[in-house]
Amino acid sequence: MPPIFQFILRRLAILPITLLVITMLLFGGVMLTPVDVRVQLYMPKGNSKPKESFIKQLIIKNYLDQPFPIQYGHWIKTLTNGDWGYSPSLYEDVLPALIRRTPVTIELALYSLLFFIPLGVANGLLAGWKPNSVFDNIFRSLAFLATSMPTFIFSLLLISFFYVKLGWFSPERISGVFSREIASPGFHNLTGMLTIDSLLNGRFDIFLDAIKHLFLPVITLTLYHWATLGRITRASTLEERNKEYIIAAKARGVEENRLIWHHALRGLLSHSLTSVGLSAANLMTGVFIIEIIYTLNGVSSVIVKAMRSGADAAAALGFSVYSVLMVVSLMFILDIIIAVIDPRVRDEVLRS
Amino acid sequence: MKIYRNFLSNWRNILGLIFAFAFFSISISAPFLSPQTKDDPGPFKQIGDRTDFVPHPPSKKAILGTAPQQFDIFHTLVWGTRDALQFGLLVVFVSMFFGVFYGAIAGSAGGIINSTMMRISDAFLSFPIIAGVVFIQQLVSSTIVAVTKDLTIQQYLAGRAFEINSTPFTEFFAKVDPLIVAMILFSWMSYARITNTRVITLKENEFVQASRALGGRNIWIIRKHLIPNSIAPAIVIASRDIGNVVIMQATLTFLEMGGNSPWGNMLAMGRDWIIGPGGSVFEYWWVYIPVTVTVILFGITWNLLGDGINEIMNPSYVRASSNNTKQQEN
Repeated sequence: MPPIFQFILRRLAILPITLLVITMLLFGGVMLTPVDVRVQLYMPKGNSKPKESFIKQLIIKNYLDQPFPIQYGHWIKTLTNGDWGYSPSLYEDVLPALIRRTPVTIELALYSLLFFIPLGVANGLLAGWKPNSVFDNIFRSLAFLATSMPTFIFSLLLISFFYVKLGWFSPERISGVFSREIASPGFHNLTGMLTIDSLLNGRFDIFLDAIKHLFLPVITLTLYHWATLGRITRASTLEERNKEYIIAAKARGVEENRLIWHHALRGLLSHSLTSVGLSAANLMTGVFIIEIIYTLNGVSSVIVKAMRSGADAAAALGFSVYSVLMVVSLMFILDIIIAVIDPRVRDEVLRS
Repeated sequence: MKIYRNFLSNWRNILGLIFAFAFFSISISAPFLSPQTKDDPGPFKQIGDRTDFVPHPPSKKAILGTAPQQFDIFHTLVWGTRDALQFGLLVVFVSMFFGVFYGAIAGSAGGIINSTMMRISDAFLSFPIIAGVVFIQQLVSSTIVAVTKDLTIQQYLAGRAFEINSTPFTEFFAKVDPLIVAMILFSWMSYARITNTRVITLKENEFVQASRALGGRNIWIIRKHLIPNSIAPAIVIASRDIGNVVIMQATLTFLEMGGNSPWGNMLAMGRDWIIGPGGSVFEYWWVYIPVTVTVILFGITWNLLGDGINEIMNPSYVRASSNNTKQQEN
């Protein structure tokens, strides 16, 4: 078997263990609450004031008076059946609500990834290659400011200037003119991502409008993650550039540009991508804040409504499971990409 | 001593120290800078007409102006500093203490215990912090709703909710802010991870082996040898985290998602005068600029200190910079 398949198999074997541990911890948290709260997770639609007898029935039906392993097993069974509970603050079931909003979040994350990964790696590499040069100093101050700047303050600043003052960009996903058109049957929603759908439908005006609405959130996200990635790339460049293979290549007379972009970059890339993977969780949370401030109706709106309306245990638990699944699968994909790019990482895992 | 001289030779570190000192002295001398009144205990103080919803520019009565409903901005900044420092230090110290011990115990035990313990910490790590915060807060508020369902409004207002229907869970969260618990629960992993890798390499060293041969007990070796020698990177993370944790608290408060940061509340109050219809950051700058500058400075301070500590601890950096003209930097 080629080593890369061995690697994937090994990672696949870890996946269920990770999921098991997290869901157990999550449900352990739920178990701390009284049984009246746990019943909310299984409460069907349209029961805002349920009778005592109905609650008793639900408790017995869902094994809520049983010990932890039985309750946990039942909960996992309902999860895999796609029954994630009914959220009273959203007036709909949790799972469809989450799935419907996912493309918005993915679209946002995708565009920011597209910008910040190449920019962050390139700038960090160039800055670290010549430490204390002019470029390095500019890069470091900018990156420092970008990481210390709270996201929500920066977004407020952008909105107050570009939207309120100049009126160039605006929050939300799409202008009111097009919003009805998107919902009409003539417009095919294939992916749920407006920029891609509009192109598939041949509507260039909608595409431009969607880009206009995405611009500010993407800039905000990109800036923060660009700085984080750039700083890590810079730090590993500092270590890498004094290694023997670089010195040997230099002695052989390899041209400087080739040295940076072929030799050093390949050695570095796994470090930088690991940082992207570690900040995958961070990206989720970053997207979160931005979605709320720019009123993009993404996944986070599920939880915002729940938080503002008071108590909604089903939505909170459903969202937690959802984000765990997202992050774990993201990490898995990234691990494989890193292993393909850098065989050293793959071999290290296989050896252990 | 050389380490301190190295640390102080960089203007950024000195700047960080000055800012940190300023924040600490503001929070200590808050009662003198802006005394609380009997009507307004806590970080908010209203001056003048409470029904006046228009923010007023800086004047003699309010040095930095007022927010809608005449909340004194300077007062909130000063007392907010105190709250922010308390919150940040508490969260960071508890999670660092727990994380470092967790990582050290796992590392020194080794084998299957180590891999199980680190697997658990990885599981926490793959959990987005905001989802965790929301999860815990929702559990608490659902519990409160469930517990107070049968109460009359008089009993509820008298604060009897937890006495009548108390469980250990509700009693705990009646005293502690759920956000603090959530933050600690979801930020100890990085300390555990970094200490763990250090401890695993350290425990093969001669001095640890010698201590074991002399009959040192496990916990004694961890406390006396392993933790002091592996705590440096954890301190770097801790220093940066103080800023991050406080900013996260302010963010959540601003988004009305729990938490109770005076800075965040102040920004939320003035939001409509900045990005609402008819609002402008240029016209009503005082409801926005002072608070944001304070929050940004707070983040910058702890980042500066973290970077500074990181540089003196990290030998590869010292090598890299000593090759170049170091004087230029100073």
